[in-house]
Amino acid sequence: MKFSIVIQGAPWSSPAALSALRFTETALAEGHDIYRLFFYQDGACNGSLLSVPPQDEIDIPLAWEKLIAEYQLDAVVCAASALKRGILDEAEAGRYDKPGHNLRPGFSVSGLGQLIDATQQSDRVISFVP
Amino acid sequence: MDKQRFLIMMRSSPYGSHQARAAIDVALTAAAFEQAVSVVLIDDGVLQLVPAQDSKAAGLKSIPDMLSAMTLYEVEDLFAHTPSIEQHLQADNALPDDVKVIDDVSLKTLVAAADQVMVF
Repeated sequence: MKFSIVIQGAPWSSPAALSALRFTETALAEGHDIYRLFFYQDGACNGSLLSVPPQDEIDIPLAWEKLIAEYQLDAVVCAASALKRGILDEAEAGRYDKPGHNLRPGFSVSGLGQLIDATQQSDRVISFVP
Repeated sequence: MDKQRFLIMMRSSPYGSHQARAAIDVALTAAAFEQAVSVVLIDDGVLQLVPAQDSKAAGLKSIPDMLSAMTLYEVEDLFAHTPSIEQHLQADNALPDDVKVIDDVSLKTLVAAADQVMVF
C-alpha cells in the first residue's frame, strides 16, 4: 500500500512525531511505500538541524534524516509552518535576509498543495496529531 | 487531479491552539485545488460559533471571520455537531446562516462517504 504521513507534532512535545516515525519505519520494513512525509504545524520542528536532545534520549529529527536518506523519501515541510518557527532552508534565509539556515538534509520546504497532492497519489494519508 | 470528498473536522477552540487556523488553511487549500470540501465543527470546535468574538485585543486574526469566508472560497458545507452545540453553547446562541447542524447519525454517514478525513 502507498501511504503518506502527516506529522503535526514537534519532536518532544507529544508522542505524535515518534509514533509517526515508528509507523513509517514499520510500514517500510513491511514492504509498503511512502509517497510523502508532510510536516505540518509544530511538526515542522522535526526538520530543524539545530535541535540537540540529551545524549541518552532518542534524536527524533536525526532518525527522520536517516530514514529519509535510506529510503530516499520525499519529506516536505510546510513553508508557512516552518518559517514562523524559524526553520529555514538556504533560499528562504536569503529571501528573508536571515543570518543562517537550519533545514536538515533530505527535507524540502513547500506549500500545503503538496498535502493535497499526497491525498491524490496515496492509498492512505495518515495524520499524527498531538 | 481527481475530485475527492474532504471532511475537515475542527475539534479545537478558536484561540487555545493553532489547530483551528491550521484546519481552515487546509480546507481552503483543498478547495483551491477543486476538491469537494466539507467542514464539521465538533467538540470544542463549536466555540468558533460564539458570537461577537473580538480577537483584535489579543492581536490575532478572527477565526469566525475566516470561517464565514470559507463558503465564498468554494468550501461546500459548514456543519456544526448538535450534541457539541448543546454542551458548549448557550441555548440562545444564534448560528450563522451558512452553518448547518448535524447529529451523530448524519455525521457517521458523512465520515463514511468521505475520501479523506482530517482532524484538527
